[in-house]
Amino acid sequence: MPGVDHCLQEAMAIPGAVGASIVDYTTGFPVATTGTAPNSDHEAAAAGTADVVQAATSRSLFVSAVPHDLLEDLIITTAGGYHLLRLVQTDFDSRLVLYVWLDRVQGNLAVARRRMQKLADELVVAT
Amino acid sequence: MTASRAVSPAHLLTQMAGERQTGVLVVGGHPGGAVYLLEGHVIYAESPAAPGVGELLTASGRLAGRTWQNALDLGTSTARVGRLLVEQGHLTQGELELCVLGAIYDAAYFALSPVSAPVEFLTGATHWLGAVVHVEPEAVNREVARRVVLLDEIFPDARVDTTAVAPVVRPPRERITLTSLQWELLVHADGQRTPADLALLLGKAGYTCVQELRRMAALGLIELPEIPAPGPEFVRLPRARGTAVDAHRPAPPPPVEKKTGAYPVREEKALPVRLDDSPTVPVVAGARVTASVPVPAPPPPDPPRHLIADEPRPPRLARRKPGAKLPKEVAGEPPPVHPGTDEVLLKRIRTALRALR
Repeated sequence: MPGVDHCLQEAMAIPGAVGASIVDYTTGFPVATTGTAPNSDHEAAAAGTADVVQAATSRSLFVSAVPHDLLEDLIITTAGGYHLLRLVQTDFDSRLVLYVWLDRVQGNLAVARRRMQKLADELVVAT
Repeated sequence: MTASRAVSPAHLLTQMAGERQTGVLVVGGHPGGAVYLLEGHVIYAESPAAPGVGELLTASGRLAGRTWQNALDLGTSTARVGRLLVEQGHLTQGELELCVLGAIYDAAYFALSPVSAPVEFLTGATHWLGAVVHVEPEAVNREVARRVVLLDEIFPDARVDTTAVAPVVRPPRERITLTSLQWELLVHADGQRTPADLALLLGKAGYTCVQELRRMAALGLIELPEIPAPGPEFVRLPRARGTAVDAHRPAPPPPVEKKTGAYPVREEKALPVRLDDSPTVPVVAGARVTASVPVPAPPPPDPPRHLIADEPRPPRLARRKPGAKLPKEVAGEPPPVHPGTDEVLLKRIRTALRALR
């Protein structure tokens, strides 16, 4: 049974992964972390992650364009890396997002996105 | 076991964790709570203001009530309710861990945020859920402090967190945008339910509800409590509450009995009554019922609705065991006069009626 730690280990196995965390985006709190965070500060990174997710969910209209639409991924590309955010959809009340930081040279965006999708699903769906 | 005394709960948690203790830190006051330690690590936390793992899982429909009850029946005595649910295939390990982590930080906010509260540590106590996760107490304390700041940045009025939620009758502007949780809160706010009631009802994290309520207060969408000067017992708290609790248990057991002791600063703001010292009981509801009995101050004793009244009882008494005798010294007294209660009650009734209109 994959737990939270296992999920993060798997995330770090994604080619090019530098760091990973699971973030509560209402409060910007890193529930679990591994590897490196931007500026070596997981808590600050989590706070920033939360701001980005909040901006996409409540401060913009992307998610309310179609009824029952749902935010899945947020992908930020920078010159040096990729930052992937995948929302973890639990049945019970939680507001969690899986965050993985990839190195630009070694990382492959498409592969990483597929892997994260699988990880986030496995975390909460019995296989 | 340490004696119940008014200290900073967060500080005592650090101290107990430093000694790698196992047991439970019971925080009194309103809403209070409990933080469970296993060899210096936080394994669970609960508070009447925060839905626990069971409420989160059943209110969302993730688990059937029966499934949860079965796991409780089987696993409570051996403290492995969590493990059972995973072994029986009802939950994934990931779900359980995330749910427990969420519940810990949520309840810890309510239990540990008071600057000072009656706190005691019961050595050796463990939680029936079992150790699903291990969290560093320092991380919990840091996060609690951060959450306090976050709320104050949104809207610096802690009264919003505890008083009954009453939506304004007329929105302050032509067009308003709500998040789905804000909608749910407004739809279920009936002028009577406190934020804690709403969180339990909706199965949403208590802190998240408080956060959204503060946002709505900042937008002018919910009525602010009209009572001005915060005092320890300024809302619907008859003065004699302390003695009543003592009478309820003649031989004073250790936990959180010092109701009359100093209340923490943060709590001196519109906090609902706790009739009982068990941190797991959402007694907020009971207290509200008592307080909202619409009777002017010196009443012809109107039996509180939540008691099966076999004799007329003054409404200020704490909950007692069924059939327990009324203590003599209390039974003989004339009904107490609650100065100021009239006005507060009337205002609350007015707010409630307005919300119904």
